[in-house]
Amino acid sequence: MLRDITFGQYYESHSVIHKTDPRIKIILLILLIVFIFLAKNGFALGFAVLSVITIMLITKIPIKLYFKNMKAILPVLIFTAVLNLFYGESGRVLLSFWKLQITTDGVSRAVFMATRIILLIFISSALTYTTTPNDLTDAIERLLSPLKFIGLKNAVHTLAMMMTIALRFIPTLIEEAEKIMNAQKARGADLENGKLTERVKALIPILIPLLISSVRRAYELAEAMECRCYNGGEGRTRMKQMHLKGRDFVVLGASLIICGGILTLNILL
Amino acid sequence: MDSIISVKNVTYEYKNEDAYRGEEAVVAAVKDLSLEIERGSFTVILGHNGSGKSTLAKMLNGLNKPTSGDIFVDGINTKDEEREIEVKRKVGMVFQNPDNQIIASIVEEDVAFGPENLGVPPKEIKERVNDALKSVGMLDFKESTPHRLSGGQKQRIAIAGIIAMQPECLVLDEPTAMLDPKGRAEIIETLIRLNKEKGITVVLITHYMEEAQNADRVLVMNDGEIIADDVPKVIFSDVERLKKVGLDVPQTAELLYNLKKNGFSVDTHALSIKEAAEEIIKALHSEE
Amino acid sequence: MSVLEVKNLTHTYSGNTPFVNDAVSGVSFSVEKGEIIGIIGHTGSGKSTLVQHLNGLLKPTEGEIFIDGENIWDNLKEIRKVRSKVGLVFQYPEYQLFEETVFADIAFGPKNMGLSGDELKTRVLETCKIIGVKDEYLEKSPFDLSGGEKRRVAIAGVMAMRPEVIVFDEPTAGLDPEGRENVMSIIADYRNATGATVIIISHSMEDMALVADRLMVMNNGKLEMFDTVENVFKNGDRLRAIGLNVPIVTRVFNELKNMGIPVPDDVFTVSHAVEVLKQIKAGGGNA
Repeated sequence: MLRDITFGQYYESHSVIHKTDPRIKIILLILLIVFIFLAKNGFALGFAVLSVITIMLITKIPIKLYFKNMKAILPVLIFTAVLNLFYGESGRVLLSFWKLQITTDGVSRAVFMATRIILLIFISSALTYTTTPNDLTDAIERLLSPLKFIGLKNAVHTLAMMMTIALRFIPTLIEEAEKIMNAQKARGADLENGKLTERVKALIPILIPLLISSVRRAYELAEAMECRCYNGGEGRTRMKQMHLKGRDFVVLGASLIICGGILTLNILL
Repeated sequence: MDSIISVKNVTYEYKNEDAYRGEEAVVAAVKDLSLEIERGSFTVILGHNGSGKSTLAKMLNGLNKPTSGDIFVDGINTKDEEREIEVKRKVGMVFQNPDNQIIASIVEEDVAFGPENLGVPPKEIKERVNDALKSVGMLDFKESTPHRLSGGQKQRIAIAGIIAMQPECLVLDEPTAMLDPKGRAEIIETLIRLNKEKGITVVLITHYMEEAQNADRVLVMNDGEIIADDVPKVIFSDVERLKKVGLDVPQTAELLYNLKKNGFSVDTHALSIKEAAEEIIKALHSEE
Repeated sequence: MSVLEVKNLTHTYSGNTPFVNDAVSGVSFSVEKGEIIGIIGHTGSGKSTLVQHLNGLLKPTEGEIFIDGENIWDNLKEIRKVRSKVGLVFQYPEYQLFEETVFADIAFGPKNMGLSGDELKTRVLETCKIIGVKDEYLEKSPFDLSGGEKRRVAIAGVMAMRPEVIVFDEPTAGLDPEGRENVMSIIADYRNATGATVIIISHSMEDMALVADRLMVMNNGKLEMFDTVENVFKNGDRLRAIGLNVPIVTRVFNELKNMGIPVPDDVFTVSHAVEVLKQIKAGGGNA
């Protein structure tokens, strides 16, 4: 159940995208998201869909895994789509009741919005599946490094460190939560039935032990880090150096073509 | 004796708060303790929970500072704040729960954490990481995710993370307590190898008596004090004293001890299975 | 009638979970009331998966489990009732403590079974008496206790449900020798007081030799052996082949035999060993 959460997990499959510099990947992700939301006609969006599918195929990651992430976001997706459905101002009225009406414009808005969100999830998953959490935080730290000139050096390092640790402990804590759930179930706890208030109350025997163990882990981890001479970001070196290579520019170029394509289709059609 | 660590008249006190009665008591976890750890030696510290052995361990690399007395690591006082990092590099620590010592989500990145903190140049870090992983037999798992490994493998990664800092001494606080027999054996083998081949001083704290058999020296702690300090054979021949302080002995020692009590003339210093069997045969023959 | 019967139990984990494969296949056995059963096997041999079926935490992919002759999955809605018949004490049970007081924590299980008022109080106090939870602890926070005492309280929490069968997954893990001894005596106390059936997963062959009536040996998800302690430990070679071993004292006796001393091969405890050697000595030494 809890083990189904795969978002933020790395998947090894040795594709070109895996090898691309994580800094480039992050910049491109942001760029592509902006352009996906800029696509205002069917052709531009269709082009974006094709591009994203191509990227997904290049990553060599089972498509199934991409859809797994959709499950979690489905309620948000439906909510947004339905909201947009009633938001159409122009177009032919298809359905009308009470003060609400659905127009052709509303339908197309809903379809556009849903497609954009799905693309957003897919493309973000493509980043997290192909980049190790450490590379990701490392890249964020490096991208944000200009901030140190305005006196935020420590903040940038601390943020990156927090992300590294959070990502490292997500699977550990999920496993722990499952163990505690089973232990309480073995003591007759009922987690599946009952009214909402009862169910919320039933979470206490799980959340308290989980919280206590997280605090203990945090304390032990802090000691272990101290023993490994951790002293903040000052004077640290990194084993992995990031250098832009030829293929990084190829990926960059390809992405710029996608953005250009969306823009052109937006204007021409 | 060439000491890597000198503990001189060290006492460690902490405040024990009783939340219910609102009382506060000062408890001494370690009492006026002095100890020399010889460079290149393999020392095991035994003691029941609350005997002060973990508190002592955490003082050996300056994680805890003595309330009174001094500890010197390679001549550096652990209270010297200027040289805190140096002390921690020289005396590396490994704890009980491997999960709570691994910082990164990829094995090699985790092992690199220590050297990165020390400001080692990137190229050298790579070499150190490879060497360290090789020395604990985990080089093949360089790119794995730690949380998919077994307990013994995770603990070896934690050891590699310390080895990559090129320490003089390794202090391990019950590193095998959470492991299965296979994992325990992996860790002990690794420690013996690091001690023999790399000359790293090892201080191992454990509850498992069998793990003390290979040590050069065994210390028994009780109530904040060292109550016995000798080679394993001598320590384990005194079954009664160990049981009195809540400890156990290897089953071979227990057998010989009970035989002796029943009138067999056995030397209770035998520890290995073969030695024990030979002792028994000698005793049986001598009766003829 | 057996208190517990498992027929052809198979459990495969669906999909490609990244976790340790701990599947079980085709396991059948039955356990009589009041028996103490030891389960041995290396990590990943299926022990933990097996025991989580006994109280219905896991549903078998194939096969059936009978408690007191009833198939536990016959009535889906009643599955929670099975958990009070078969108690399961997980590894490091002290990590499941959550209530404000020791009393409230021990009462959690029986309360879930529907006990309340005086009945609940009596049940908790009785349990504490059987296994030696001190009265003065009852109003303390469980988090203020020492490690060994925390575990005692956590175990009491399962025992307070008065299960007919109680299963322990490595109950002594992480404790010091005194703590290990305490836990083993808690288990014996509960059994003597209630006549319950006890199943213990353990890595310590020496402990198993002392307490178990029969031993279950798991390997690669299959039940490799299920026999008396004597018959299992006589098969030293077979155990070693799957990464297990016999108690140390038995290994000493094997060595003696190799060296030509006519010792029996059913010696698994120190006290028995001493008796046997005394007899040999009295009988005029050896050939």
